[in-house]
Amino acid sequence: MKFQTLLTLLVAVNVNAFRNTLVLLDNQVIKETHSIFFKQLQERGYTLTFKVADDASLVLSKYGEYLYDNLIIFAPSVEEFGGTLGVDTITQFIDEGGNVLVAGSSETGDVLRELASECGFEVDEEGAFMIDHLNYDITDEGQHTKIVVPLDNLIDSTIIAGEKTMLTPLLYQGTGLLADPDNPLVLPLLTAQSTSYSYNPEQSIKEYPHAIGKSAVLIAGLQARNNARVVFSGSLSFFSDEFFTSPVQRAHGTEKHETSGNQRIAYAISQWVFKETGELRVKSIKHHKDGEQVPPTAYTIMENVVYTIEIDIFDYVEWVPYVADDIQLEFVRIDPFVRTTLKHKGNGKYEARFKIPDVYGVYQFKVDYNKIGYTHLYSSTQVSVRPLQHTQYERFIPSAYPYYVSAFSMMLGVFLFSFVFLHYKEDTPKTKGE
Amino acid sequence: MLGINKKTNTGSVNVEKQETLLTLSILTLAAILSFATRLFSVLRFESVIHEFDPYFNYRTTKYLAEQGFYSFHNWFDDRAWYPLGRIIGGTIYPGLMVTSAVIYHTCWLLNITIDIRNVCVFLAPLFSSFTTIITYLLTKELRNAGAGLVAAAMVAIVPGYISRSVAGSYDNEGIAIFCMLLTYYTWIKAVKSGTIFWGTLAALAYFYMVSSWGGYVFLINLIPLHVLTLMITGRFSHRIYVAYSTLYCVGTILSMQISFVGFQPIQSSEHMLALGVFGLCQILAFVDYLRSKLSSQDFDTLFSALLYTFGTILAIGVGVLTLSGKISPWTGRFYSLLDPSYAKNHIPIIASVSEHQPTSWSSFYFDLQILVFLFPAGLYFCFTQLTDANIFLILYGVTSIYFAGVMVRLMLVLAPVMCILSGIAVSHLLTKFLKHSETKHTHEHKKSKKLESSVVLKNEITATYVGITCLLLISYTFHCTWVTSEAYSSPSIVLSARSHDGGRIIFDDFREAYYWLKMNTPEDAKVMSWWDYGYQITAMANRTILVDNNTWNNTHISRVGQAMASTEEKAYEIMKELDVNYVLVIFGGLTGYSSDDINKFLWMVRIGGSTEKGAHIKEWDYYSPSGEFRIDKEGSPTLLNCLMYKMCYYRFGQVYTEGGKPPGYDRVRSAEIGNKDFELDVLEEAYTTEHWLVRIYKVKDLPNRGV
Repeated sequence: MKFQTLLTLLVAVNVNAFRNTLVLLDNQVIKETHSIFFKQLQERGYTLTFKVADDASLVLSKYGEYLYDNLIIFAPSVEEFGGTLGVDTITQFIDEGGNVLVAGSSETGDVLRELASECGFEVDEEGAFMIDHLNYDITDEGQHTKIVVPLDNLIDSTIIAGEKTMLTPLLYQGTGLLADPDNPLVLPLLTAQSTSYSYNPEQSIKEYPHAIGKSAVLIAGLQARNNARVVFSGSLSFFSDEFFTSPVQRAHGTEKHETSGNQRIAYAISQWVFKETGELRVKSIKHHKDGEQVPPTAYTIMENVVYTIEIDIFDYVEWVPYVADDIQLEFVRIDPFVRTTLKHKGNGKYEARFKIPDVYGVYQFKVDYNKIGYTHLYSSTQVSVRPLQHTQYERFIPSAYPYYVSAFSMMLGVFLFSFVFLHYKEDTPKTKGE
Repeated sequence: MLGINKKTNTGSVNVEKQETLLTLSILTLAAILSFATRLFSVLRFESVIHEFDPYFNYRTTKYLAEQGFYSFHNWFDDRAWYPLGRIIGGTIYPGLMVTSAVIYHTCWLLNITIDIRNVCVFLAPLFSSFTTIITYLLTKELRNAGAGLVAAAMVAIVPGYISRSVAGSYDNEGIAIFCMLLTYYTWIKAVKSGTIFWGTLAALAYFYMVSSWGGYVFLINLIPLHVLTLMITGRFSHRIYVAYSTLYCVGTILSMQISFVGFQPIQSSEHMLALGVFGLCQILAFVDYLRSKLSSQDFDTLFSALLYTFGTILAIGVGVLTLSGKISPWTGRFYSLLDPSYAKNHIPIIASVSEHQPTSWSSFYFDLQILVFLFPAGLYFCFTQLTDANIFLILYGVTSIYFAGVMVRLMLVLAPVMCILSGIAVSHLLTKFLKHSETKHTHEHKKSKKLESSVVLKNEITATYVGITCLLLISYTFHCTWVTSEAYSSPSIVLSARSHDGGRIIFDDFREAYYWLKMNTPEDAKVMSWWDYGYQITAMANRTILVDNNTWNNTHISRVGQAMASTEEKAYEIMKELDVNYVLVIFGGLTGYSSDDINKFLWMVRIGGSTEKGAHIKEWDYYSPSGEFRIDKEGSPTLLNCLMYKMCYYRFGQVYTEGGKPPGYDRVRSAEIGNKDFELDVLEEAYTTEHWLVRIYKVKDLPNRGV
């Protein structure tokens, strides 16, 4: 019993160990206006270190070790970070596995724009707001910038957005984003309504707006190849206490909700971005011939092979077996020769059995599992497939029997003939041979 | 040293003994000389394997010596031709490896703890000693012992043969020439004796030849051609029937045991002459038998009936088999023998190999020197004294001189017959003239009255002639030694150059790069390079490579060629598709090493563009508007931005190579490069050797954040 407590304590400590988070703020006021969000995090075990974004003592790493695992930048208007922090250090932080949550606003500073473009998003021009003349909240102040976004526009992934049970719409006030269409890793977490566009509400519209309708992204996510996660929200107020608690009612609608869905979604997104959910890993890979236990140095063509993979998922506090029915295995030599769905055998263990094709070469067992919100699970195991050895061919084939018979009968015939030829004496002495 | 002074016609037993001793000592000296003259490279550099193909042979020999024959026979190599792999056992002629492994194991059995590498390095010189001896035996069979000794001495140092058999040049040809001459010797013996014993020996020698070199095709066409000629000239006899039937039956069955040869002897058209002549032999023998039994009228009727029946059946059979694809069409390499321009027009991969180019006239003289002039004389003496064996020699000489003219590397086949014919010529002439001087001495008293002046003149002429011949032979010796030392003794894995003060500079960049790969890259790293360097990388760096010198898969080589000729982005796709981790290029711009990848680049473009996937690569795009291949500012932009160019000239724009020239001056192309300041996007420089000869790049991973 005591031991168990110790163990849970250890786990808790362990969990906390990678929940060190640096929070950068424009000013200390934001800490108060967004207290619910921060409190949620702290309740989940995150150690938050609040700093003003242009604090001269800012450091992310010391002696090559990162001091934090996650970074929250709630400082839209910052023009330059203090200390050693910069776009370079933050992208390096991402490339080495750190997670970043950034919130901008219509006044997004250059440094955040640059950071965004490093991650495949583009922030609309300064002063631009998402505007929707049809779907704004009744509390809007006349510029129609405090818009109501239904949950339908949320990315269709429970792992990121949580269960869509309560259909309370979201409140949003801020700028629009554009996702780089060439970047396959960018996920539009929340897109705008088709009636909205992004422009400066103070000015009359002279140019065609950059971000319009569904192509305008409100909250964008990036799942990097090394599994680091980045979320960029165009609105800082999305996470504020005010939006969390305020009621929602569309200006032209009658439906009224007591509180917005913001809190729940912000909660889910923060869980996703800090890798509490959706992180997969390969626990073990085994492959061997059917009926054996250890892998051979090389497979032979046409053999039956068994491939087993164990996959884990990180579920809030610990690694648990991952259960799905859509994981595929490919047996690849430039092109896949075999593609099959892995069967779940319980406990996160997946298995595939197939016959190696009649083509020799160097193959790879490839599991390339790419599901929105989850880690891009990629595992490739190289094996050689060799042709038959000279002893493995059939020794006597039925169609060759006539030839065997003819060969042996010939040999017998020659033997008999030479026997007769040598020992037969003709009566008349007639020499013939040489 | 040359065996010309062996005619002392006194006729006593003692003299005979002396003659044997003299013959033996001359032969031994020639054999030792042929070994010793091939050691230049070992003395000058070290005991290393040369060039490209020998590295593969060395690697396989090592495997054979360590793992035994069965695992060698079943060896599937996953290090080569990634990801296709290569069945080594079934795609090589194992004779060379087996020979070395046997020698190696025998040495160890005798407690001579020799390294397998040294066996490989010295195998070719050893076999050239054997060749010297077998040349003597063959020429003795064809003519006489005197000609044999001259031929043996000549073949010991003939550059055409040395070019492929210096120490370290561990290639099939090194032993194949010995096997070929051995087969000829046993064949001539069989023809002369007409016994099954010699026929079988010839078949065994033929088997050894088949097991060691693809050039056996020449042999299996030459011997039937000999038989056919004998038939036409009416010299066909029971002796030849027995010899050829034995050789063909036993030899064919044996040759089919080599898995690389397989069923070719009865299917491919290259072997059809042998089969046809075998059939003809049977028919001719049968016809002769019938003729001896039947009256001439009956025989005529039967003969015409049989002729028509079998003719029709044969024609239909061949037609059906060809149409059904059982008889393989003529392969490209064979076509290029008959029509020198065939390969150039049709198969870039064959034309790109320098040793497949037609021979220039000068190289005949370079490789054979006086033999070129003595050859017709020898041929003439053969014609004056036609025998079954001499006809063979004539055929061998004439066909091989044609083939040597078509392909540089077949000079090797020509060299021995050149020596034999020249040996015959020299020996014949010397004998004739020396005989005159002898007769003069012995019959001096009797002839003293007769035509005194003419005898004196004869004497003078004899002396002059012998003197000239000696001079020629001496110059031949000097020429051969000079050629061997200057042209054929560089290992090409280690380069040497003369510095300003005349000293030797050694460039050991290749081995430096390969050892770097071996020590600094992951075990399963895949290295992409042009196919020339494939064997060396697998043998020395022990890394997986995409293509190598065994150019069996044109599309795969073409894919690599496309990667080299494309822009970085396109190349990156190809490299990712093929799982490439490192790319290796050879660059000679700094040192002036001219056979580097930029000079080979047009072949990459041609081969890359020769398949369907590379159809967008057009050779013309890589020429400047005026139709030149230039790497300076005038060069085509396609060239200046392709992967190969960028890899070769990365950071080269800042380097001063020669005094008085701008930075980035390429010393091979003698031009300042046209594209100097560029960065590599998808590659990063991993290693560049001391003299920039080898440059290795690492392929970057996909960008982490997707942009």
